[in-house]
Amino acid sequence: MAAPVPWACCAVLAAAAAVVYTQRHSPQEAPHVQYERLGSDVTLPCGTANWDAAVTWRVNGTDLAPDLLNGSQLVLRGLELGHSGLYACFHRDSWHLRHQVLLHVGLPPREPVLSCRSNTYPKGFYCNWHLPTPTYIPNTFNVTVLHGSKIMVCEKDPALKNRCHIRYMHLFSTIKYKVSISVSNALGHNATAITFDEFTIVKPDPPENVVARPVPSNPRRLEVTWQTPSTWPDPESFPLKFFLRYRPLILDQWQHVELSDGTAHTITDAYAGKEYIIQVAAKDNEIGTWSDWSVAAHATPWTEEPRHLTTEAQAAETTTSTTSSLAPPPTTKICDPGELGSGGGPSAPFLVSVPVTLALAAAAATASNLLI
Amino acid sequence: MDEGDSWGMLACLCTVLWHLPAVPALNRTGDLGPGPSIQKTYDLTRYLEHQLRSLAGTYLNYLGPPFNEPDFNPPRLGAETLPRATVDLEVWRSLNDKLRLTQNYEAYSHLLCYLRGLNRQAATAELRRSLAHFCTSLQGLLGSIAGVMAALGYPLPQPLPGTEPTWTPGPAHSDFLQKMDDFWLLKELQTWLWRSAKDFNRLKKKMQPPAAAVTLHLGAHGF
Repeated sequence: MAAPVPWACCAVLAAAAAVVYTQRHSPQEAPHVQYERLGSDVTLPCGTANWDAAVTWRVNGTDLAPDLLNGSQLVLRGLELGHSGLYACFHRDSWHLRHQVLLHVGLPPREPVLSCRSNTYPKGFYCNWHLPTPTYIPNTFNVTVLHGSKIMVCEKDPALKNRCHIRYMHLFSTIKYKVSISVSNALGHNATAITFDEFTIVKPDPPENVVARPVPSNPRRLEVTWQTPSTWPDPESFPLKFFLRYRPLILDQWQHVELSDGTAHTITDAYAGKEYIIQVAAKDNEIGTWSDWSVAAHATPWTEEPRHLTTEAQAAETTTSTTSSLAPPPTTKICDPGELGSGGGPSAPFLVSVPVTLALAAAAATASNLLI
Repeated sequence: MDEGDSWGMLACLCTVLWHLPAVPALNRTGDLGPGPSIQKTYDLTRYLEHQLRSLAGTYLNYLGPPFNEPDFNPPRLGAETLPRATVDLEVWRSLNDKLRLTQNYEAYSHLLCYLRGLNRQAATAELRRSLAHFCTSLQGLLGSIAGVMAALGYPLPQPLPGTEPTWTPGPAHSDFLQKMDDFWLLKELQTWLWRSAKDFNRLKKKMQPPAAAVTLHLGAHGF
């Protein structure tokens, strides 16, 4: 009376039966999970089997040499990370599965590293943590925040799993905050704590959108603008001051300017024609520490376009356009190639201020004139 | 003098000082508005905060461990009469100018009084000198705040009967507890100076003359 069973259903059932048959065990037990310390020795008994039972051990499906056995127990010495895996022992003759162990080799946690920072003062602060060395097995962290005797909630960050956020309830508190973290895994436990005053952990994010522009008709100026970091919630009541540093790419030494307000500054001592790198940092006016340096802005001061020449040197001139970062500053005096032929004299000094290729082209022109 | 009365004695002294005539209003700054004197007050809080850093370091070393340890985090017990800088964020933000200035004035009046008491007990001459110098600067800050309040037409706070610190014989203060009181005094002073900088920043922003108009004017002249 039963409806005909679809062929696919039959095939699945048959496959399942075959698997059970080859496994030849009943009933299947879940593997025993075991954590062991890196470098240690471990002896795995084959479930409830007698010591003198005849068994074969396999790891991840691969047979293990019998010399590792102590009776029916598997002995592993000097555990390495590679020893992690699924160990199974079978009755030697019937291949009946006796016992399974899922072995994880790892380490107990070392003291975690904990740090807290307020980049959103006066809204709140966040704390980050990590382990200095990996444990290779799962760890759980527990963070508690105390303000005096009051417990505060640390909300987990939605994206980062090693960060949580605390909201300030009161400002200008004389009582320190104490953040404690404990970490534990199957092999051990560790903890650490830090205490700090409200003000000491304030560190804004770097300024955003740093833009540097040349100033037309001013070969030694660069105009720099930036924005207060978007994470700083109240720049009106908690103003930021800024620190600007700049240098030409070809030099190593920075110049610094501290600005107590405003989000713009004009550099007036730039080397003409040199490309500059500029960065800005921010700090609350009174408390905390400087932010990291912003993303760098690059700019070259304005330089005058060289006037077109009417000689053969004109072709060479286009290769020495003013966008070259090492082009010497232009002069209003254009070197007349004709002057070069008369063996130096008063025209010689002008060679110094002319682009090198222009001079060479001029010399070539002169040479070709001489050869005619 | 019985140590147990130390805070009480200070309280008594404080009430005396409270009634001393305050610095008269600075009539001349009234012409420019309160802006310059607010700026001056702000600058004074920064100067005092800087001065306090070295003074507190020296004094805490004099008190010895654990007071001079950076992680020292005792519960706030005792020192009930110290004016507390801590305030709810929204409450602080919404303080009106008069209240903001009054709270600052009252706080520093009390703190100055307690600080003078500290000075009397300080063991070394060098400490007494530093404390005396700081007290003078703090007195200057008080005068500056008074000047701002006068320029804005606010009356100087007069202590109401019952709210002023009264002389009550307290429990006998051990040496350690006395040191704890000193510790909290310095801590509260430091926090108040940070808070005042923010308070006067806020006042400065509110009182700012239309600066935008000034810079536009300069811009038109091709600067």
